[in-house]
Amino acid sequence: MRAKPPVDAPVTRRQFLRNGARLMTMTGLGVAAGALAPRSTGAGWVWQIDPARCLHCGNCATQCVLEQSAVKCVHAYAVCGYCQLCTGFFNPEPNALTTAAENQLCPTSAIQRTYIEDPYYQYSIDEKLCIGCAKCVEGCERFGNGSLFLQIRHDRCLNCNECAIARSCPGAAFRRVPVDHPYLLKTTSR
Amino acid sequence: MKPQFDLFDRRQFFGVVTKTAALLGLAGGAEARGQTTANPFAYDISRFQKTDPKLIAYQEVTRWPLPHKEARRLAFGPDDQLYVCAGNYINCLSRAGGRGLELALAGPACCVAAARDGSIFAGLRDHIEVFDSKGGQVARWPSPDAKTWLTGLAADEKNVFAADAGKLVVLRYDRSGKILGRIGRKDAERSVPGFIVPSPFLDVIIHRDGLLRVNNPGRHRVEAYTFEGDLEAAWGKPSAAIEGFCGCCNPIAIAQLADGRVVTCEKGLPRVKIYSAAGEFESVVAGPESFPENARACTDLNDCVHGGIDAAVDSEGQIYILDIVAADVRVMKPKG
Repeated sequence: MRAKPPVDAPVTRRQFLRNGARLMTMTGLGVAAGALAPRSTGAGWVWQIDPARCLHCGNCATQCVLEQSAVKCVHAYAVCGYCQLCTGFFNPEPNALTTAAENQLCPTSAIQRTYIEDPYYQYSIDEKLCIGCAKCVEGCERFGNGSLFLQIRHDRCLNCNECAIARSCPGAAFRRVPVDHPYLLKTTSR
Repeated sequence: MKPQFDLFDRRQFFGVVTKTAALLGLAGGAEARGQTTANPFAYDISRFQKTDPKLIAYQEVTRWPLPHKEARRLAFGPDDQLYVCAGNYINCLSRAGGRGLELALAGPACCVAAARDGSIFAGLRDHIEVFDSKGGQVARWPSPDAKTWLTGLAADEKNVFAADAGKLVVLRYDRSGKILGRIGRKDAERSVPGFIVPSPFLDVIIHRDGLLRVNNPGRHRVEAYTFEGDLEAAWGKPSAAIEGFCGCCNPIAIAQLADGRVVTCEKGLPRVKIYSAAGEFESVVAGPESFPENARACTDLNDCVHGGIDAAVDSEGQIYILDIVAADVRVMKPKG
């Protein structure tokens, strides 16, 4: 039987390098496993946007492989303040609080404004018109409750192995989620 | 004899690792730079974040830090003593920031008012406590409602007005703590539209014209009420432009100058402005560029209720601005 070296014996250069190499190998394997796991293309996983990480960069409107992006704005009605001056709906300096095109922030007029009672209005998204540009999302988050946010709509998404938007997302907001929980919805403000 | 190994020595090893890391860093940086493109859909409010210097009528004289964290409101008493609510305390400060009386409360101090006789009215979240000028507690008025959230106080010789952001009313008390009326409640017969208060910022002042002024943030205006609750006038318009009130809900706080002009405070685009008594925009005391930390409070992933500013006016017309996020008081005096 080999005698154990004393506890306070100095570490030799050889031991140091060997331990270092083992540590680096294990770390590398861990990193590789972590990086590959969420990119699994298994049928049980789909892409989704984490609203808390979205930076409203506009890439969702321009980077998707589809002609009209699979990313759409969705609205958490329970979070919305139903504001008369919705900063997700109106441009920052509207002529009047009306639905006239020049007052609207959305480049495609995809948000519908409906009177509820004085002074409350309901805002809903017309997904056929929404291009996922997140302009309204930023307006709502900057001055409001943040009830508007982006989600990938799975009736449109092709679930590409390497999502073109995910690759360019500066906030790393895209991630794989289980297909039985395909949306990451907001339930509280911000 | 020591065995010979054909390996890097330690110096070579660290050298190689450092060079590799540097190369990877350069490559990553270049890639990141390549991805940075202008967003064609950017929500651009940059033109509102800088104030036209010609509109700024005040300059900063000094600023001092607050004695406690979590500041909320400030108000001047008739003796030119500044009362500041911060944490569970109300501090009485001189105009130079010197510390005087300190009231320790059982909960967060939400608002304060001081009457001419020296009485200090401290608004906690759901009730008012009354102190004499030496800090002795005189009374504790019962909470009017479980949903009460007091955010503004004003007092004269006979009345105390408390802005209740939770119940969307201004409570009128007599000096004994009895509720005499509720002002601003939605009432179609009296043509009172009701307060819209998406975040807890409702304020009240007793104007020198004998009417109350109350901010109605969800309607982006300031409203004038009689003590009996009749709506007499309202002014203000929604806009991020300098003459309007920005965002979902502004102004958040109001004060008055000796000649009756009204000082307004906004969050989101933090700015302090002056309007005539009739509501015409006159000038800017401090614009968003003066409150960088405060402006960020509404753009980071924090609720904007943590941002906000407040203002009070001393007998010489200097405006004291409380920056809740920076936790300081700035003293502004008119230019020239």
